Amino acid sequence: MTLQTTLQSIYDLPLSNAIRENANAFPVLESLHVLAITLVFGTILIVDLRLVGYAAHRRSANRLITELLPFTWGAFVVAIITGSLLFASNAVAYAANTEFRLKLLAIVAAGINMAIFHATTQRTIAQWDETAAPPFAARAAGVLSLVLWTLVIFLGRWIGFTLDVLF
Amino acid sequence: MSIQTFGDWLYATPISTTFRETTWIIPTVQSVHILAIAVVVGSALVSELRLAGVLATDESPARVVRRYLPWIWSALVVLLASGTLLIVAEPARTLGNTVFWAKMALVLLAFLATLLLRRPLLRDDARPAAKTVAWLLLVVWSAVIFCGRFIAYT
Repeated sequence: MTLQTTLQSIYDLPLSNAIRENANAFPVLESLHVLAITLVFGTILIVDLRLVGYAAHRRSANRLITELLPFTWGAFVVAIITGSLLFASNAVAYAANTEFRLKLLAIVAAGINMAIFHATTQRTIAQWDETAAPPFAARAAGVLSLVLWTLVIFLGRWIGFTLDVLF
Repeated sequence: MSIQTFGDWLYATPISTTFRETTWIIPTVQSVHILAIAVVVGSALVSELRLAGVLATDESPARVVRRYLPWIWSALVVLLASGTLLIVAEPARTLGNTVFWAKMALVLLAFLATLLLRRPLLRDDARPAAKTVAWLLLVVWSAVIFCGRFIAYT
């Protein structure tokens, strides 16, 4: 099965068809998607700024991360589910869209950045947890995360202007 | 002058035409608009969940509100500025749209609730906030986002 036939069979799914047929399905899914991404960005912004060195509502960076990350992850899961449904409704066109592809790349890059931070810099967090200026690696991870998630939002909005709508 | 004639006049202005015909302007301004509402949502989430007694209950409400209220004000200024540009670019899409006015009413409600019920919390002797208001404010901000997306479909 080639990629094109896979995409076509996703497009042909009864669920995809239902999203296309129901006038409210796409806007509702899209609104939930935007709400989820604002929660992802809004919560990660607070953590990233703390990593860069701006104070948050609590001093400990580690407690801030453990406190807010469940919200970021929860919202991210909602964004993935709603995003997948939006994708399914028009799979062939999304897969061919440059902005959509770049957006997926940016999300993967943000994930790798986060994984590296958790695996390396966060292990030494006890040494800088309560200091106002975190080490360079933490600040770099914070800046990179902010840049990548900003890019995700820009690319996501751009898809709406560049997609070849087939229905 | 009715809203309809104002919209028509605005549409015909050179600046409105430029915004519409320069392909990158509307998507860029909309992206900035979403980034700004994300800042509001993140700040409101942490503040309101603190006031609802869910998050960071070992920190004082005043400390949390003091941290995020300025972010909300700054982001609201960016939202107002970028939103105004979007109205100038496409007056009929917004000014002639019921959902747009519902959104404006909700934004005004959230703004007034934040101004009248959240700003006083900056004082250390402030009375505790009602938890229901905290949940309601989060619902109103979510409704603002829904209306914002639905403007494109009505």
